[in-house]
Amino acid sequence: MTACPRPESLYLYLEGELGPYDARKLEEHVECCAACRDALAERRLLHEAFTSLPPFEVPEDFARSVMDSLPEPEVRKAAWRAPLAAAAAALAVGLAGFYLFSGLSVFEVLLAVNRFFGTLVAQATPLAARTLKLGSVLLKVAGDLVALGFAGLGTFSRILGPQGIALVIGLGALLTLLAVFGARRFLHQGEQS
Amino acid sequence: MTEDRQLVSRALKGDRKAFEMIVRKYEQPLTSYLGRMTGEREAALDFAQEVFLKAYCSLASYRPAFKFSTWLFKIASNHLIDHWRKKKLPTVSIDQPVNDEDGGLMPQVPDPAPSVVRKFELAEIRAKIERALESVPAALRELFVLRHVNEFSYEEIAEIKSLPVGTVKNRVFQAKELLRKRMEGS
Repeated sequence: MTACPRPESLYLYLEGELGPYDARKLEEHVECCAACRDALAERRLLHEAFTSLPPFEVPEDFARSVMDSLPEPEVRKAAWRAPLAAAAAALAVGLAGFYLFSGLSVFEVLLAVNRFFGTLVAQATPLAARTLKLGSVLLKVAGDLVALGFAGLGTFSRILGPQGIALVIGLGALLTLLAVFGARRFLHQGEQS
Repeated sequence: MTEDRQLVSRALKGDRKAFEMIVRKYEQPLTSYLGRMTGEREAALDFAQEVFLKAYCSLASYRPAFKFSTWLFKIASNHLIDHWRKKKLPTVSIDQPVNDEDGGLMPQVPDPAPSVVRKFELAEIRAKIERALESVPAALRELFVLRHVNEFSYEEIAEIKSLPVGTVKNRVFQAKELLRKRMEGS
């Protein structure tokens, strides 16, 4: 017969927390050990009582009283709503003011507003067209300049030949290295001083 | 679990009805836990209200990777600890084994003495457990209640209390054996 199991194992067995191998071993032991059989029966009864303790009663209106005690939620409003509302309010106030001070009827006010926006669009359209045209001319000039630069570079490389190009690249790299490391040393000296 | 996450998500968007559903779902388990920790129903209801308020105010910090119930009970457990600290009530160190008046709590083999609990009906046993539970140290009682009243798994309790699973199992066992011995003595 195997050694008597620890009481902890009895509880774990009853809770189904013991592995299948240990559970089988415990069952085999209990079959031939009267003391452990009694101990297991006692813990089984206790386990049944532990797992069936009654819940605490909660008043019907408890959830309501919890909800009443909560602060108001801070819901983030959409960012575009405020400016749009302000613009709409300003337009409404402007229209109302115009209606009150000009002495015109609502229809005449709306007609005047429509005319105003019409004039605005009529004046803005040629200006926008001119701006676009100017932009396209500037873009063309920039393109021509870039093409001219590339043509000049081609002519220059033809004059220099392969050795000349290699020499220019080498000199350029040397100057770059000197500039980078020279600047670093200069900065380093600055930190030390 | 998914339902809880959806309710939290709705509550975060300002839907108070969703949070009310959370409250209705957890009011009883939470009060059962707090009631057994404080020993008073009225105090348990006050605590439960405060826990729900705390949960509501820190809802944005809830991570859906975890179960909502363990998150809520972690708040409740910390709330109790804060309360006891303020009241300066004695607490039991988690690292020290708890002994009863008779000395050792953990016999190496099951007690072969004739059973005492068999004399009682289940209802009587429950009533005795409730009374005996009040005398069990809070550190053990809490883990016992989380396991057997709230039916959390050992792993979930370990998460709530930030303890190793082995420690939780051992302490729940200590609580049960302590209860058994207290019942024998009654």
